[in-house]
Amino acid sequence: MFLLLGQPLWAEELNIYFKTTPRVALLRPFADPVGMSLLVTGADGRPINQGHVDIRLDAPKPGLFFSTDFPFVEGTRLNEMRLGLRQGRANWNYLLPIRGEYRLTVDVVSLDGTKASTVFAFKIRENERKWFTLAGFSIGLFLLGFAAGRIFTQARAAAAVFISVALLSGLAGVSAEQEIVKPSHTAVLEIESAKVGTATGVQWRLESESTREKPTAFLTLTINHLEKSKIVFGVEKLSVAGEFSMKFQFPDGAEYRVAAVANIPGVPTIRNEQIVPVTGIEPPVTAMVPVLSYFLALIVLGLGAGRWSKLRKSGE
Amino acid sequence: MERIVAIWLRLSVSEQTAFLIKSGIFLSVCGATLFVALAASYPAVHDTLHNVRHALAVVPCH
Repeated sequence: MFLLLGQPLWAEELNIYFKTTPRVALLRPFADPVGMSLLVTGADGRPINQGHVDIRLDAPKPGLFFSTDFPFVEGTRLNEMRLGLRQGRANWNYLLPIRGEYRLTVDVVSLDGTKASTVFAFKIRENERKWFTLAGFSIGLFLLGFAAGRIFTQARAAAAVFISVALLSGLAGVSAEQEIVKPSHTAVLEIESAKVGTATGVQWRLESESTREKPTAFLTLTINHLEKSKIVFGVEKLSVAGEFSMKFQFPDGAEYRVAAVANIPGVPTIRNEQIVPVTGIEPPVTAMVPVLSYFLALIVLGLGAGRWSKLRKSGE
Repeated sequence: MERIVAIWLRLSVSEQTAFLIKSGIFLSVCGATLFVALAASYPAVHDTLHNVRHALAVVPCH
């Protein structure tokens, strides 16, 4: 299902539309890859024939008190790339890592040099199940404090037994031997050293026997999170002139597989694959202060409530 | 038990003070437990409770 997001931009005769699949209200962080689509039309409403879009996706800014579960991603550049327009459209898939308001900056340049820019902001809500889990955990801490508050108040019982229960409770490999005919082209996939919190350069480049020849290739590039078995980024049959590069931020300290499949008419399919170990960064202790304070405050509240309930009962 | 110890040591504190001392010790233990469970980077703890951290939505992880 497609839903139009945002308003069309009227700038120098170009309109830009942004859509997600599924619609924004149904999107949840780190769930499934989102189909993102841009449509660029002229003043007459018809899609422009050729051109390209420069896309920059920025992560939501940090919250005032609580962080998300990926604090290093907050407020950083997630993706930066240039896509060619095909019948006025550019499509890609992306796994949104955290909740909050994302900003997608789009700069369009048509073949005749007409330019237009706009920023789309869209908000992703947190998974409801996580909020339920947090609520349950919070109630558990409050009850723990409540029970302790009752026990610690006016210990009349001969023996108070206090039991506290902590509530904390590969796809198939690609073989180069598939090649029947020796290709006249090869490709190189280069990925910079990846680290959470900063965008990493990803470049795919065609290397032909003739250095001058850079034929148009239809590139399918996917990035998979191996541990979660999720596609975090993907473009399909993107028309590229011998080269495609982008900046991409790997949101999690884990292993990813970057796979590129290029089709060139008259040439066997060219495949490249690379496993990328991403260096994770442990959040600083200061990032934990708000949430630990919140949890301890719940226990203090429980202690107070437990003491109050015990004293009230004794007073009756 | 605590009364026997208090009498034996000739220590006597008011009920409110006793409550504050016990609550303080209890909160310290809870705080240490929560810190180790949700914030420690020690691999054995982190890996075991990794999903719990993410499931709570507000606990920072890598």
